Amino acid sequence: MRADLDFIAEREDFKLRCAASYSEGVHLVSGIIGSGKSTMALVMASLLQCQGSYSTKGVQRTILSMQFPEYHITSSSLDDEVRSWGLDPRDVLPRAGMEGRGAIDPFKLSRGQLKRLNLACVFALDPDILLLDEPFSSLDCMVKSRVCKAIESRQDKITMVFSHERSVLPRVDSISHIADGELRYHGNTPDAVMQWSSPPPYLRKALERGARPKNIALQDSMEALCAIRD
Amino acid sequence: MRDPRLRIAATILLSTAAFMSMGGAVIAFLWWLLFTPRLKAIPHPRMLFGVLLMITLTALVSEYTGGLGLSYLVRMIPIILIAAWAYFDRQESELLDVSVWLLGNRIGFDIGLTAEMGLQSLQLISHDLVKIKQAMAIKGMPISVTSMVPLAMNLVVNQLRRTEEASKLLTVRGYSAGGEITPRFVTTKADVSLTFIALLTFSTSFWLF
Repeated sequence: MRADLDFIAEREDFKLRCAASYSEGVHLVSGIIGSGKSTMALVMASLLQCQGSYSTKGVQRTILSMQFPEYHITSSSLDDEVRSWGLDPRDVLPRAGMEGRGAIDPFKLSRGQLKRLNLACVFALDPDILLLDEPFSSLDCMVKSRVCKAIESRQDKITMVFSHERSVLPRVDSISHIADGELRYHGNTPDAVMQWSSPPPYLRKALERGARPKNIALQDSMEALCAIRD
Repeated sequence: MRDPRLRIAATILLSTAAFMSMGGAVIAFLWWLLFTPRLKAIPHPRMLFGVLLMITLTALVSEYTGGLGLSYLVRMIPIILIAAWAYFDRQESELLDVSVWLLGNRIGFDIGLTAEMGLQSLQLISHDLVKIKQAMAIKGMPISVTSMVPLAMNLVVNQLRRTEEASKLLTVRGYSAGGEITPRFVTTKADVSLTFIALLTFSTSFWLF
């Protein structure tokens, strides 16, 4: 399974240049708000035209989870909303922590609850390429950790995490960063950890103290710092 | 046109002239043809096409049932084109500026703020529509008559939520009524000339067929 990118995408007065290849595993694409992460995700979901090429090999299904979950709502009850994804509410609602609430109107949920529901649906679909646009937004730390575990469990599929999250991150196989309208591929972990131009504060501190974390999760930085002390 | 006061005045004059008579509509159309970037000044061509299609259908029905459908069509086309140009040419907060200049910091500010929020809502609805269509495509749901209901519901609920947030924000910032701004305008010779021509069009439209 593989996704090859070599394109320029334009949206209004913004231009994004991407050249990279991603295979099975978890891939982080970082960048500040407005850097072009959503644009890249839209191209990979075939929802935005681009110049150049975007091709996949061995991929049957690609799913994009949008940053704002309310856009995904197309039904008037949670049961029907889950069914609109082609899924069984009895399987999905418990995963979203909403068991027995199938009759509720999705618009009555908070954005965080909607995000949980949306993520439960897209993970249940188990697509070959899962594009997660800001999957941690509106979530508390406990749920973020659960989302990280769900992301890390998708090792046999391609999972792209587009995020500016700075506190809770999953273990990833590669790191890319978007800045100045260009995607910069930093390579695979653990080497990419040192190359990453925009690490979160805990990782930056660990690196400054001479630690060499194997990955980007908080746990990796803590373990690397402990190794120095030992 | 750089001066929003004159642009709004020209828009009102030309629209009224076009609605008054067929002759006024023809001159207003010529004004649009000569003094605007024409098709480049149409922000959403598809939307404009949809509006024109609806007007054409209404005109055909009217003509068929013995009304003045053709006249209605000829008069409405320049009105829509000029409105599209005025919308395309606008700058942020200019409605607030013009309203305060015209009616003062109390009523003028309130009316201007409401108009600005209305325009902002239009832009956001347009953005929401794109996103909802993308979300439906992700689910493999085609845009059809049946999908219009959830689509419209999504638009309305999102807009209501934003309105609620905006009202809370205004309250938190201490807004109750009126405000204070000092609008500044730049008037060019071209602005004055084009408004004068619009005024002539308006005046002559009363005597034309």
